[in-house]
Amino acid sequence: MAPSQAIFSRSRAGQESEQQFMPPLTEHIVLRDLDIPDIGDPEVYHRHGGYAALRTVLTEKTPAEVVALVRDAGLRGRGGAGFPTGVKWGFLPKDSYPRYLLCNCDESEPGTFNNHQIIDRNPHQLIEGVAIAAYAIECHTAYIYVRGEFAAGARTLERAVADAYRRGYLGQNIMGSGYDLDIVVHRGAGAYICGEETALMESLEGKIGQPRLKPPFPAIAGLYGKPTIINNVETLTNVPMIIRHGAAWYRQYGTAKSPGTKVFSICGHVRRPGNYEVPFGTPLRELVEADYYGGGMRGGRAVKIIVPGGASSAWLTADKLDTPMDYESLAAAGTMLGSGGVIILDETVSAVELAYKMDEFFKHESCGKCTPCREGTTFLVRVLHRMNHGGGRASDIPLLHDVYNQMAGNCFCLLGESAVVPIRSALRLFPGEFEQAIERAAASAATLRANAIPLVTH
Amino acid sequence: MPDVTLIIDGRTVTVPAGTNIVDAARTTEVAIPVFCYHPKLKPVGMCRMCLVEVWTPLIDQATRQPVLNPDGTPKLGLMMGKLQPGCVTPVAAGMVVKTVTDKVQFAQRGQLEFLLSSHPLDCPVCDKGGECPLQNLTMQFGPSTSRYDYQDKVHFEKPIPLGDTIYLDRERCILCSRCVRFQDDIAGDPVLGFDSRGRSWEIISKSDPPFDSKFSGNTTDICPVGALTSSDFRFKARVWEVRPVPVVCTHCPVGCNITLDMRHDRLMRVMPRENDFVNEIWNCDKGRFGMRHVDDATRLTTPLVRRGEQLVPASWDEALRVAAQGLMRVRSSAGATALAGMIGADASNEDFALFRHVMHGVLGTPHLDHRPGGPADVALETASARFGVSSGTNLLGLGTGTLVLLVGADPEEEAPLYVLRLRGIVARGGQLVTVNAHPTKLDGSAARVVRVAPGREAALIQAVVCGILDGGAPMSSRARGIDRLRTSLKGASAVQLAAAAGVEFEVVRALTDQLISAPNMIIMIGRTGLAQGSAVSDAVGALAAVTGAFGRPGSGVIALNPGGNARGAQDLGIVPGEGGLAAAQYWDAIARGELKAMLVAGLDPATLGAASASALDALDFLVVQDAFLSDTARRADVVLPCAMLPERDGTFTNAERRVQRSRQARQAPDGQRAHWQILQGIAAALGSDPGYSVSSDVTDAIAAQVPAYAGARYTSLGVTAGDWGRQANESVYYDGTSYTNTEGTGVQLPTGVERDGLPPVAAPLTPLTGGVPTGTLAVLVPRAYDGRDWARGSKLAPRMVPPHVIVGPADAGTLGIGVGEPVTLTSARGSVTLPAQIDRGLAAGTVLIVDVAGFAAADLCGGVITSVDVARGEA
Repeated sequence: MAPSQAIFSRSRAGQESEQQFMPPLTEHIVLRDLDIPDIGDPEVYHRHGGYAALRTVLTEKTPAEVVALVRDAGLRGRGGAGFPTGVKWGFLPKDSYPRYLLCNCDESEPGTFNNHQIIDRNPHQLIEGVAIAAYAIECHTAYIYVRGEFAAGARTLERAVADAYRRGYLGQNIMGSGYDLDIVVHRGAGAYICGEETALMESLEGKIGQPRLKPPFPAIAGLYGKPTIINNVETLTNVPMIIRHGAAWYRQYGTAKSPGTKVFSICGHVRRPGNYEVPFGTPLRELVEADYYGGGMRGGRAVKIIVPGGASSAWLTADKLDTPMDYESLAAAGTMLGSGGVIILDETVSAVELAYKMDEFFKHESCGKCTPCREGTTFLVRVLHRMNHGGGRASDIPLLHDVYNQMAGNCFCLLGESAVVPIRSALRLFPGEFEQAIERAAASAATLRANAIPLVTH
Repeated sequence: MPDVTLIIDGRTVTVPAGTNIVDAARTTEVAIPVFCYHPKLKPVGMCRMCLVEVWTPLIDQATRQPVLNPDGTPKLGLMMGKLQPGCVTPVAAGMVVKTVTDKVQFAQRGQLEFLLSSHPLDCPVCDKGGECPLQNLTMQFGPSTSRYDYQDKVHFEKPIPLGDTIYLDRERCILCSRCVRFQDDIAGDPVLGFDSRGRSWEIISKSDPPFDSKFSGNTTDICPVGALTSSDFRFKARVWEVRPVPVVCTHCPVGCNITLDMRHDRLMRVMPRENDFVNEIWNCDKGRFGMRHVDDATRLTTPLVRRGEQLVPASWDEALRVAAQGLMRVRSSAGATALAGMIGADASNEDFALFRHVMHGVLGTPHLDHRPGGPADVALETASARFGVSSGTNLLGLGTGTLVLLVGADPEEEAPLYVLRLRGIVARGGQLVTVNAHPTKLDGSAARVVRVAPGREAALIQAVVCGILDGGAPMSSRARGIDRLRTSLKGASAVQLAAAAGVEFEVVRALTDQLISAPNMIIMIGRTGLAQGSAVSDAVGALAAVTGAFGRPGSGVIALNPGGNARGAQDLGIVPGEGGLAAAQYWDAIARGELKAMLVAGLDPATLGAASASALDALDFLVVQDAFLSDTARRADVVLPCAMLPERDGTFTNAERRVQRSRQARQAPDGQRAHWQILQGIAAALGSDPGYSVSSDVTDAIAAQVPAYAGARYTSLGVTAGDWGRQANESVYYDGTSYTNTEGTGVQLPTGVERDGLPPVAAPLTPLTGGVPTGTLAVLVPRAYDGRDWARGSKLAPRMVPPHVIVGPADAGTLGIGVGEPVTLTSARGSVTLPAQIDRGLAAGTVLIVDVAGFAAADLCGGVITSVDVARGEA
């Protein structure tokens, strides 16, 4: 167990903060690799109660009871939307088989890296979670769709799945229960859009990764047109612990509406970037400043921009550092918890440049299916590019407002809507920086004109 | 489905549930702009052009009751708090749709600004200019200026060939995927796809040869920009300069409605013309790109008369006089029965009427035929006229509850547009069953594929008929002759007949259950079936009789008699009369000295083989009417140059007995005359001028004399009936550039039942219980791209099928033959060596020989099914 840490942290270099923080978790629910060395080893996992939850479920519970238990625990989807997992599982149409379970491990949201740690260091808990979920929704084939770039992680996961088969936790007649389950680990080819659930299914079916029209929703007609449930890695990794300890135990963590813990990926200009599992509702300031989390800002600089839930979430400024990190509080602050990728940036960062970089990402990842995303992201990036490179024009600020408004609400899927977020945040929070960029461009143009090489005439 | 009432821009609209908002709006003349949406394709909601405000009644979550305003009206909420794409949003009761609001107009301007941000705006040199939805919608809904820097535009290499007929200009493409979806869903040739992503997303062809589809031209019509253009029309003309003339395509029995787009007297392009009864808004590539022969430089320009070994130009007067005198001379010396005539099945009804007048009425010969006189000649069939399909049948309206049984038919090669029509029936919930000795494209769309031994289609149908008669299946049929039919099949059992067909009896039983449970059944017989004597058509007639598949719209028989107007030829008596010979019997009769003179119009029997060629040489007198100096024409004493499709007016009857009018698009370039005019000239020289001045005079005479054609006058043919599902002048937004039909949709002739009120008679059958044939059987199969006259000057020229033989993998293995290697086929008639192709779906003991130009089929084949020895050929 982690030793009790100093509860006073250094938020600024050399200054003792008066802020009092909650101590960190002594026992993790998801990142149990922090508590138990080598939990990725099947023997170790087994020694620490591994697959006991699966055995309990298969031998003592009906699928409906499992769904009810997860619903009672209030587990919410960690992929971004925060939809109650048990409720989602209950959406499947009656008597429609086969069904499929997809575990979304296409973790591609900039600033997010907790799924990677789970498959790398605690794969068996995920596999157990997948197996329990598959049993709960009465499916016999589950796919774990792994982001293409996670080559080593995917191999670790594949080894773990193979081991689970060997030990009889997967395959035919699991633990003598008569329940069969196959898990297939599938690597994507490197596209952000394939983390979108319907594009993920297209990709898994061997087609070009592009979102599908909804409705029909995946629960009705998903993979191969069959009822399909898609859950995030972190969501499913919670499930064995909920089964083992019960809903009430789970609800002691977090808030009433956002129960449990959340693994936040902290990155940016903090001293200690990394994955930290904390109860929902932990204040953002604590994640940034506590010694056992972010450890304060590097070089003692001031926080300028916080991107609290991956690149798709609206930006916050330092005055919002006391926002509790749960779905409701962040929504109230005008942003979202999203994937839990918290990007903390200091005062050295230019908002114009950050918006440019982030929209460049969305432009690069736009699948091209719908007009506003395909053309709008390109448009935004062209304008932001010239603004960042001393070519901004007075008309560019209203133009940027128009372009993102032409996209907002009009795109086929959330990728295009996400691309609106950085530029809208930047213009809303830091309009002065855009004006300065344009003024600088005008000044340098004037200088250029003044210093122009004179036309020599004879 | 129940109807739903909603309000669109203040207008109350009632449409069937499930209708999308764009379609609902169209019914009340509210035009919601679209790019990716197309009424013939499933909506995908990609282009985001059709965004509208959708307001729906708010429901109180606690009481589940609508929330009301103080005035008692339901309180409305904006659906999802944002604009909705109209093409993928179904209507709902109480919905209020607003298509003209600031928010909507901002979005429409925005999407157009986005689309134009990577569009080159090279309209001045774009073939689509003038009929371009992007142009039109930009003018109506778009911004007048772009804020996107020109130098930032995406550029691609200018057009790359996507196939022989289609060019792709990727920088013009707005990525609506209409072409890809057309190929996947409608044509059933999924040869297009996408590559890459984002702004680099682009259309690619996945097939080899590229864009391998007989329907590729349609993608240029539905392309909402100039991204897909046809190599046939590229840079030929501006679309506002052309004069579209409505004609009927005569390449096959479908009778597609097309327009010839003329600039002055030059044919610029061929476009489909909407007719929901025939071709919807499509046509096939053969119809679209196979019309360039009308401007071929080798066309005959003047009449020719033989002087010794030479054919020399002559005046029309002289040539007609010589022709008439020559025919009369033989008639005087050898009698009327020494004369024979044949006229091709793509001539008009008016041509047929005059042909019959000259050959039968004036000269008195019973030897008339419209068939070419070769091994693939079909037998005369009456099933389609007796059993329907009934008047009012529209394949577009058929779906669930309809079963289409294809017997010895390969519509892709014989009548390509039926592929689209039949796939449409399947898409709407109908079923397809194919009965063939070899794989065909429609097998892929079929619910059941029955593979019979070559030439045993009739045995299979007889087995089904026998099973129905024996099994005491419900016999609700009103057909006459059932008892005689039952008697004729005595002594044969369904089991025996199934064995004779080479099909498991269980398959026959399952097929029978499927057929008798279908509320509507259409039986389509193709050339392979029709050319096996009358066995298949009689069996099919019996099947229609015992299942009661006649006498109501949506049921009956469709026969794919080769040629654009074979139905008309049979209706107008271009068939052997009393004591008359069939065309295929002419050659022996000539050799025996019984026939001494012939008139051949629009056919080239000399290419069939050595027998017909030498017979033509042996004639005392030969008159040929043709557009080209064919092998037959070279042997003639008089050659009369005929006008081609653009240069003539007339009526044509399609496989579903629909009579349609084709208009004259230009004067014949060198004074060539329509067949009927030439024949009237011969009649005049024979002293029997009927005195018609225009084509419609003949049409009127036909209507007066042929009972079935009583309703087929120009006035009735010119009626454009029905709701076309599109708004006038707005089709270009939705449907692409195929033309609306303003020139009439034709008249479907009544069946015998409908005319005289008596149920049809089922002909007795001769049971085909012989054993399954042993040895190898060659099937002479048709090919759409057969390389005949129509292919001259066509962009499809590289796609013409060369003579070859197709063998199955088993036979190829046994003989040690690889693809392209020579195979020698030997029959009772002779021996030929052809390169081999291998078809994995072909059973051992069956080989296919393609019936194309350059292969003298009659030198090997005695019919469509020929017993052959197959051997590895010498290279």
